[in-house]
Amino acid sequence: MLKMNNVTKVFRTDLVETHALRDFNLHVQEGDFVAVTGPSGSGKTTFLNIAGLLETFNGGQYHLDGLDVSNLSDKERSRIRNEKIGFIFQGFNLIPDLNLFDNVDVPLRYRGFRSAERKRRIEQSLEMVGLASRMKHLPSQLSGGQQQRVAIARALAGEPRFLLADEPTGNLDSKMAHSVMDLLKDINARGTTIVMVTHDPLLAKQARRNIFVRDGKVSELHEVSAFAEDETAASKVANSKQ
Amino acid sequence: MFNSSSWEVGPILRALMRNKVGALLIAIQIAVTMCIIVNAIHIILERQELMARDSGIDEANSFHLISTGFANDFNEQVTIETDLNTIRALPGVIDAVQINAIPISGGGWSMGLQTQPGAEFDGVGTAVYMVDEHVLEALDLELIAGEAFKPTHVRWRERAQTNWPDQTIITKAMAESLFPEEPWQQVVGKTVYINDNEPILIMGIIDKLQAPWVGWNNVEHAMLSPEKTLFSSSRYLVRTEPGRRDELMPKVEEILAESNKGRIIRDVTSMMDTRERSYRRHGAMIKILTTVMVILTVVTALGIVGLASFSVNRRRKQIGTRRALGASQSAILRYFMLENFLISTVGVVLGAALTIGLNIYLVQAFSLDRIDWYFIPLGMLVLWMVGQLAVFGPAKRAAGIAPAIATRTV
Ligand SMILES: Nc1ncnc2c1ncn2[C@@H]1O[C@H](COP(=O)(O)OP(=O)(O)O)[C@@H](O)[C@H]1O
Ligand SMILES: [Mg+2]
Repeated sequence: MLKMNNVTKVFRTDLVETHALRDFNLHVQEGDFVAVTGPSGSGKTTFLNIAGLLETFNGGQYHLDGLDVSNLSDKERSRIRNEKIGFIFQGFNLIPDLNLFDNVDVPLRYRGFRSAERKRRIEQSLEMVGLASRMKHLPSQLSGGQQQRVAIARALAGEPRFLLADEPTGNLDSKMAHSVMDLLKDINARGTTIVMVTHDPLLAKQARRNIFVRDGKVSELHEVSAFAEDETAASKVANSKQ
Repeated sequence: MFNSSSWEVGPILRALMRNKVGALLIAIQIAVTMCIIVNAIHIILERQELMARDSGIDEANSFHLISTGFANDFNEQVTIETDLNTIRALPGVIDAVQINAIPISGGGWSMGLQTQPGAEFDGVGTAVYMVDEHVLEALDLELIAGEAFKPTHVRWRERAQTNWPDQTIITKAMAESLFPEEPWQQVVGKTVYINDNEPILIMGIIDKLQAPWVGWNNVEHAMLSPEKTLFSSSRYLVRTEPGRRDELMPKVEEILAESNKGRIIRDVTSMMDTRERSYRRHGAMIKILTTVMVILTVVTALGIVGLASFSVNRRRKQIGTRRALGASQSAILRYFMLENFLISTVGVVLGAALTIGLNIYLVQAFSLDRIDWYFIPLGMLVLWMVGQLAVFGPAKRAAGIAPAIATRTV
């Protein structure tokens, strides 16, 4: 359902050319939960941006849901982002001037839903992340973990097929990180395909599948058959790799 | 997609309420600009209307001059007769008169006419033009009732003389002011009184002739008195055939100066110059107000550009995030246009109130006219448009922000 074959991405500035992705190959099945790890600067965010149609690429093929996305117009890409993809960011990216209700409302308005439909979806998704009672609060009145939950509610309100998360727990302490991770697993269990970039091996091991990116390439595939229930086992695997 | 959900009025308003100060300052600036622009345009149009008024004479083809005798043997009466005959005989001259004052020139005589004799009655003020029987042709006046002066009506007036000829021709406006109850046609043949109790017969009515004072409320009040003056200085007003004025001005000056060395000719001036000089203050006022309006509009537009650019820069991450969540470029453009429209709306509503307030003050303090009601919606429309034009650049730049900004930690 997400298929990248030999995707390359080059950033050109006046002085340097950065090959952020070189012959990047990845297939993600429907319903999968893929954790992407790798050193800083290896191309994880670039991969996620291309996967989420935030950025274009220079070579190779990328099919999303069977659709070749390389020649879509900006408008079509916007529409696909809005309908099929949910984004979760390291910095939450909530709009500080809008309360939780209006924040979750943002993608629904671009979708063109009527007001009653939007209201239903907003309440439902805030309910799911346990923040329905805080709808009129501003993001600044919430903890980091709560803000990320709102961001997840916002990403899910449009019922996307994909959830793309770039270091979703990077700004959270480990307790909050785990609760966000539990939420993501829960969402995946209900059928949403998730691709998550993380630098935390413990969290990565909880995904169904791990990939490792180095120098703009998928260098190592780690298949995990099911959610690792045993945290010590997961950390042993992680330790043995280092 | 003209779906109400994509017009984010509610969220934009709520977000604006959290950043009131900047938006409010711009709204106030818009309001003040609108208030001043609308009132300035109103004043300009009023002035232009004043300036466009017809003096009643053939301004484009007329000029005037002064002849002042100084020699001991200067015979004024003979000189005037000779001068007028000479000028009238010149090819290209339609006619000429001696006249004591020039319409719309700023200087002249006024008297009061009253319908009943007696010092206890108030007169109606009027400009007085002392002229001979050539006046209608020389000034291009239209006699609309009664009779014109004949040579026999015209007398000579000495400098110290205070009594008046027995006949007069007045303007229609003067007739209507003297006898407001009656149709102006029936004013012909009536007797009015000058100097409290000297009777004068109204023998004719002319369509239009303005007084020398353009700022006077009764500028349309004028009377023609059939007399030539012996005041040692004489004014002549000369009307030429179309297109021959400039050629005849120096020629007449030269001929008169040559014909009699006992006097000097001065102040040879075209009526167009006279008008220009009389309305110079109005013209200057119009220029100043126009400059103020342009500057104010530019400053306001720049203020809008500044605020919008600032808020676009401040919200780069937010814009990228909105793009990531599915906003098209046009949705981002629309967001900023709509935000500006909402700020402008507060501005122009406030501006409408201020405009009316300032106008009420101007009406009371300077007896200006009231603004026509449609100036208000027009002013609102103009400022809405200024706002939308000003915000378009920054909004376009916002729409160009890459969605990838959302994930890049800046
Ligand atoms: N907009 C950009 N312009 C130039 N170089 C970029 C840009 N974005 C990323 N890069 C470069 O591409 C490489 C991959 O970056 P990124 O995908 O952000 O890595 P990661 O997320 O794994 O840390 C890095 O060398 C980075 O400096
Ligand atoms: Mg990254």
